[in-house]
Order: sequence, then structure tokens, then C-alpha cells
Amino acid sequence: MASFLMSAAGLVLAMAALGLVRIFYGPIDADRLIAAQLIGTCGVAILLLLAGATEATPITDVALILALLAAFLSVAFVRGAAGFASASEQGDDDR
Amino acid sequence: MTFSLVRAAGFFGFWLILTGLSLADLAVGILAALVAMRASLVLLPPGQWRPRPLLLLRMALRFLIQSVLAGLDVAWRALDPRLTMEPGFIVFQPRSPPGPARNAFCAITSLLPGTLPCEEDANGDLLIHCLVVSPDVAPQLASEEALFLQALGGRPDHG
Amino acid sequence: MTLALDLLTIVGVSAGCFFFVAGTVGLLRFPDALTRMHALTKADNLGLGLIVLGLLPQAAGLGHALKLVAIWLLAQVSAAVASQLIAGAVLRQRSAIWP
Repeated sequence: MASFLMSAAGLVLAMAALGLVRIFYGPIDADRLIAAQLIGTCGVAILLLLAGATEATPITDVALILALLAAFLSVAFVRGAAGFASASEQGDDDR
Repeated sequence: MTFSLVRAAGFFGFWLILTGLSLADLAVGILAALVAMRASLVLLPPGQWRPRPLLLLRMALRFLIQSVLAGLDVAWRALDPRLTMEPGFIVFQPRSPPGPARNAFCAITSLLPGTLPCEEDANGDLLIHCLVVSPDVAPQLASEEALFLQALGGRPDHG
Repeated sequence: MTLALDLLTIVGVSAGCFFFVAGTVGLLRFPDALTRMHALTKADNLGLGLIVLGLLPQAAGLGHALKLVAIWLLAQVSAAVASQLIAGAVLRQRSAIWP
């Protein structure tokens, strides 16, 4: 079972690596954030699979923290994109 | 009062799941549960809702099935060589009151097949992005919302 | 019994991997940010859910199993909320670039 879980982790890792292509090409920042979120979800899955494969249950806690940080990542991005928000609010004044 | 205690007990249970049962950590856990309870009362004050557990359970089950269908739908489109989709927006007039209930409804919508709420405009209408724009989307969302409001137990106000 | 549990693990984890593959393919193939968002929130979170489901039979005790479910719930809820935040930001960003 361990080797099966390990190869599953490898496959998900490959998918996370492919996600980097989207970070490279964008074209807008939101695309890169979406790719980063995808890599975060892949990371959680990889850690859980590794925890299962190696029976090292503390790795599960690392997965938990990663899931938590991924949630904060998007909030930080949206707050940081406030410059765009104020630009569009100025545009909204017209209507 | 009982309401806050139920919340604190819920948070403490969650703490136990995350950290495991150990006597040495218990004091920290109780403290954390109380802090979480205070925060939750500020962020999500007890409202006029009277959730019906059985309907909520049915809703959760239905929602689980829908999210599996949503995943299959997206996977199918992603792997289909022809990449068939007609993405676009629809405007949906929600009946749920603004606030936690509407936010929860938006979260549910984002996991339903083919829909993703984007913005709330000045009139309180929701701008929803769809993978396939069709006139059926709005009525479907309306029936989901009706079920959701029923499960929450609030009276849907016809405004 | 162990065989049945292992079978459940193999089916769950394989199905989960399938959705991770589909999610990444969607991320790379879908035409714009909002449609890519669909790929992320729907395919990837279902993938994570299936992998958690597959790992449950291998969990070391009830506490560990509950923790796995808690992680999945956290990821699912945060994805549902984050997807709307990002979608709103995409619209604002787009209207800022192409008014």
C-alpha cells in the first residue's frame, strides 16, 4: 500500500509542477493566484498521501497548516489588489 | 447563554480533533475555545434563523452529490478535446437577505455545477459566471436557494 | 477485511488523482481566469475529498480519521469562499485593464 500511495503522491506532485506553467504565462495576476491555489491544494493532497505512505501521522498537521495558509493567501491577494478595486470604483462613479 | 455554550463546546470538540486528547493541553484548549466563541459571536451574531437539522442534513447530502457532479462536469470539459463551453454571465436576484445567509448561499453556488458567483451589484443582484450560459441556470439557482432557506428555517420574505 | 479496506483506498486515491489531473489540464486549457477558477474549485477539491476518503481506511484511529475529514472541510470551505473573492478581483482587474 505504501508504494501505491507514494506513486499517487508523485502523480499529484507532477500536476502541481505543471501548474507552474500557468504561473509563468499568466496572463493576469489572478491566473497566477489560481495556479498557486491549485498548487496549495495539490500540496495538501501530497502531504496527506505521504503521511499515509510513511505512517508518519504528524505530516497530517503540516497539511492542515498548508490548507489554512492557502485560505489566507487568497484573502491577502484580494486585499492587496485593492489598488485595482479603487481604480474600478472611480470608474463606477460614472454610472 | 446556552447558545454561546453550545458554540464553545463545538469549538472545543474541534480543538480535540485537531490536537488529540491530552490532559496537559486541556487548559489551552478551553482557553482557545472561549476565544473562538467570543470571535464567532462578533463575526456571526446569533440571528433569527431556526435551522432544521433534518432538512440541513438532506441539503448537505444533496450538496455533496451536486459537488461530485460539478467536479465530473469540469473534468469532462477539461479532458474533452473539443473544449465545449459557452462561458458568460447571468444576473441572479437572490431572495436570501444580505449577510451570513446570502454569503453561505454564494459559497454553495460556487460548488454547484457550472456556476461561480462573482460580484454583488448596487441593487443587491448577484453576477454569476457560468461555464455554459443558458436560461435554465437562474430557475435552478432559485430552487436551490428556496431549499436552502427552508433548511435554515427563516421565513423567505417576498420583497 | 483488510483487502476490502485496501481496495477502498486504491479506488478513492485513484479517483482523487484523476480529478487532480483534470484540474491541472483545465487550468492549462481553459480560455480565461474565470473558467480556470471553475477548474480549481470544482475538480481539485473533489480530488482532495476523494483522496481523503481513500485514506480514511488507513487512518491510525478515529481521531486521525476525524482530522483528515477536518482538513478536507477546511479546504472545501476556504475554496468556496476564496473562489468568490478571486472572481470579484478578476472582474475588477479586468475592468481596470480594459475599461
